[in-house]
Amino acid sequence: MRRPGLTAAMLWPALIIMAPLLLGPLFALAQESLKPYVGGRIGGDDAGALTLDNYALIAAPEYVRYFLDTFRVGLISSGLALALGFPMAHFIVRRARPATRRVLIGGLVGTLFLSLIVRVYAISMTFGPLGPLSGFSRLFGIRSNSPDGAELMVVLGLMNTTLPLVALTLIGTLQNINPRLEEAAMSLGAPRWKTFFLVTVAMSVPGILSAGIIAYAFCISNLVVPMLVGRGFILFVSNLIYSRFSDVANFPGGAALSIVMMVISVSLFYGLLHLVRSNWQEAGK
Amino acid sequence: MNKRLADALFEAAYLSLITLFIAFSVIPVLVALVLSFDARGFIGPFPPTQFSLRWYERFLADDYYHAGLVTSLIVAITATLIATFAGTLAAIALSRATFRGRGALQAALLSPLVVPNVVLGFGMLIFAARLGIVDGMTRLIMGHVLITFPYVMRTTAASLVGIKASYYEAALSLGARPWKAIAQVTLPLARTGILAGAVFGFVTSFDDVGISLFLTDAFTYTLPVAILAQMRANLDLTIAALSVIFILATVLLIVLLDRLAGLDAVVGRGVYGR
Repeated sequence: MRRPGLTAAMLWPALIIMAPLLLGPLFALAQESLKPYVGGRIGGDDAGALTLDNYALIAAPEYVRYFLDTFRVGLISSGLALALGFPMAHFIVRRARPATRRVLIGGLVGTLFLSLIVRVYAISMTFGPLGPLSGFSRLFGIRSNSPDGAELMVVLGLMNTTLPLVALTLIGTLQNINPRLEEAAMSLGAPRWKTFFLVTVAMSVPGILSAGIIAYAFCISNLVVPMLVGRGFILFVSNLIYSRFSDVANFPGGAALSIVMMVISVSLFYGLLHLVRSNWQEAGK
Repeated sequence: MNKRLADALFEAAYLSLITLFIAFSVIPVLVALVLSFDARGFIGPFPPTQFSLRWYERFLADDYYHAGLVTSLIVAITATLIATFAGTLAAIALSRATFRGRGALQAALLSPLVVPNVVLGFGMLIFAARLGIVDGMTRLIMGHVLITFPYVMRTTAASLVGIKASYYEAALSLGARPWKAIAQVTLPLARTGILAGAVFGFVTSFDDVGISLFLTDAFTYTLPVAILAQMRANLDLTIAALSVIFILATVLLIVLLDRLAGLDAVVGRGVYGR
């Protein structure tokens, strides 16, 4: 019944359009990253000999700091998003009435769709120095105009970005866990909290990890949030790449940073996902 | 600790996390809403003392934002149409394909979801320069097709999972040609998935900054890039008014998506759905 001719024909438009768009920029970046950088010139020196200098620079401690900041703040934000997103998803799947469920899912998709810039703006107006919740940072003993305050704002901005994503992904996970198992645990005398953690959460581990990985990938590649609320104290690798392009026109340096960031993101994502899938293949079914 | 107390404590923690989630999502939106009606000419302490529509009037009179909006719409619509056409066909092809390397091809086509947009944008800028493409609109559309395609393909692929191969085969056994069976059986059944994918693709494109920042030129810039530039230059409350317009547009989009595809189609009902 399978007609390879028709299948191939349906793949061609995607291949013709996507192959150059995917590979072209990749090769352009790789090539640019090997060119020597000449100050004051836009783009690398085409005539110069190819060099690995641009990569050697990234290993310097001041660069490594940006990578560490990116990965650390991303981890905090996606961890918090999981901690808030899981109960929300659980509520929607197990407890909400149909009308409430509809409103909450609509709200989640709505926040997902609402422009990121608008959300970051709203966050900075709410938690910023003149905002109604400006005292929030004091709960953690942080002054809002300190570096820690900037980090808190970046964490809040990234959480706002990833919360709906995490909750919607976890709804999918929880819907595929048999509710009878929770009922069974409770009818056998288990308290609610024990049922929640030892049955529901335990069975959702693969889903929680995949949602976390997706959230993490979104966080560490973010440009706008640190740019708008990091106030220079918190800069992600994305910001560094952008400034190589816009401020100093060091294209080879930006290209080398891009290649390194891409390799790290892709291997983190697929590596972690592979780890989750191979360890919990049949869990949650 | 007795069971009843432990359960009560758990319930309190559970409900407060949900409340925190909702408060954290809703309060900033409400703050932006209130501030957009602030009559003061500067950003002062919350809440505003007097209200007016001045920021809306300012936005309506601003050609800078209008030009950005028009560019954003052209880019998002063009990119979504191209991505929906190619992505839908690719999703159907990959769902039927049996060749080796199918998984690798699928991962490659979805890879823009994982690679940071800034990297894609910077790469696209250098690539376009090598090709001699300096036109902002062309560059933007190239970049936006790249990031909308995976959304369309992934959502369509997810909706194809629920469609039994036997429907397609039944059409063939009744004498339909393969392409006709796809056009008249598979495509209509996957309609909601394709539509949801297109909406996701459009929103992704319309909201993008990471790619667009690299590909805009002095005359062709998208709305988010325009807002970002304004936010960094002079923070006034026109952006609050613009935010409210964005929020209204989003609500409209959600209602539309619910009518056309049903919000449940976005998250599904699961194996044990009620």
